[in-house]
Amino acid sequence: MKQNEIKIKIQNLNFFYGEKQALFDISMDIFKNQVTALIGPSGCGKSTFLRCLNRMNDLIPNSKVEGAVYFDGKNIYDPQVDVVSLRRKVGMVFQKPNPFPKSIFENVAYGLKVQGIKDKYLIEQKVEESLKMAALWDDVKDRLGESAMGLSGGQQQRLCIARAIAVEPEVLLMDEPASALDPIATKKIEELIFELKKNFTIVIVTHNMQQAARISDYTGFFFMGKLIEVDTTETIFTKPGKKETEDYITGRFG
Amino acid sequence: MYRHLHEELEKLKTTSLKMASEVKDSLKNCIVAFQKMDTDLAQEVIDRDNLINSLEVEIDKICLRLLALEGPVASDLRFILGCMRASIDLERIGDEAANIAEATIVLSLKPALPFYIELGRMGEKALEMLEYALDSFFKPDPEIAIDVCKMDSKVDLLNDKIIKEIIAYMIKETPAIERSVYCINIARRFERIGDLATNIAESSVFIAKGINIKHYCQFDNR
Ligand SMILES: Nc1ncnc2c1ncn2[C@@H]1O[C@H](COP(=O)(O)OP(=O)(O)O)[C@@H](O)[C@H]1O
Ligand SMILES: [Mg+2]
Repeated sequence: MKQNEIKIKIQNLNFFYGEKQALFDISMDIFKNQVTALIGPSGCGKSTFLRCLNRMNDLIPNSKVEGAVYFDGKNIYDPQVDVVSLRRKVGMVFQKPNPFPKSIFENVAYGLKVQGIKDKYLIEQKVEESLKMAALWDDVKDRLGESAMGLSGGQQQRLCIARAIAVEPEVLLMDEPASALDPIATKKIEELIFELKKNFTIVIVTHNMQQAARISDYTGFFFMGKLIEVDTTETIFTKPGKKETEDYITGRFG
Repeated sequence: MYRHLHEELEKLKTTSLKMASEVKDSLKNCIVAFQKMDTDLAQEVIDRDNLINSLEVEIDKICLRLLALEGPVASDLRFILGCMRASIDLERIGDEAANIAEATIVLSLKPALPFYIELGRMGEKALEMLEYALDSFFKPDPEIAIDVCKMDSKVDLLNDKIIKEIIAYMIKETPAIERSVYCINIARRFERIGDLATNIAESSVFIAKGINIKHYCQFDNR
């Protein structure tokens, strides 16, 4: 059964890279403890939209945001919002695994230390917990001191997920987290996402439609900066409401 | 990847059309054979059943391949499911036509009974239903499907009426009992063909709108 508690409410969101408008009047709800997948042809604004949800786009010069993104009812674009604490609550995992050139342990402990946690025992406990949640603990428990760069691509990505969840975010944004991985590593990430939604709200960009169909509860279809349709994943893949969605997912595009 | 999907879907559509037209011919011929007591034509209907059966197997194979290999979604997925269902219904209609043809061969040996004409008309009604159902299926046009559902209740009434007449006749004309029982069977089979045509019409609504009207005969959205 679907839970219907709204975690993030996006209202009339526009986004500009300088003069160029990349997102047009997007409104949608992201539900708590559900996986929401964003699909659409490349360049349609999925990553831009994802980055709007934790204000990662703030870093881009000349960019401009209009509209509102309510996180637990509070607009994250209010001037008094503390962006650092927002990004702690809304963590992000990127397409290419990007571990730091440090030990496996240090990678996961990093965010905790940045937060000022000094208790060695607490950090160890959190690192173990996060690695377990990311289904990586058994792979690495005997070599936590070794460099993260020695891990396989799939393991590195799970390490990045462990790093992201160590600081106990509420929402995880994932931008094509499995696109650089082989099918087995991809499968593991997909299974992991399924587990993670018990504790987190997940928004995932994927160019792989079958992946979206497998792992998500809701799917939004973006096209040319617009959100064409968002509905339960079942509806999108069995009887989408819009012809553009139908054409895209059945490959009759353009 | 998609090109292959679309080619396979095209193949599914052509094979389904072929099966539909074979079944339609079979039904048409079994009615004419009955009306004219033409045993050659009846034999042709019986012989054609093999071809219809093999087309059903062929459609099954195409659908299995499509589902296993192509990851079809949305209207493509609904079309595949619709074709699988329709092929089962069509195959049964083919069987019924062959059974009616067999009965015709038996009946041709003895004089006709008065209700043969009405029975033939009932067959024509069932054929008309099938034609409408296939029209709605391949367009797909869910409005036509609703017409088919409405026609089905008429065929049902006709069936009840004819069977009553036959029974009344049997009571009086005991030498005609055997022929009369055959005729009751034929009426039942035409009625069944009407039901199967209705199923096909329902599948067409599923393909067009993604909603299931089975057992309701109306669009009850979502
Ligand atoms: N940093 C940037 N500066 C200017 N334009 C950008 C930038 N990032 C993305 N864009 C443009 O914004 C549009 C949406 O891009 P993006 O959000 O990356 O799409 P997607 O993730 O769906 O592939 C594209 O036209 C892209 O070229
Ligand atoms: Mg992107």
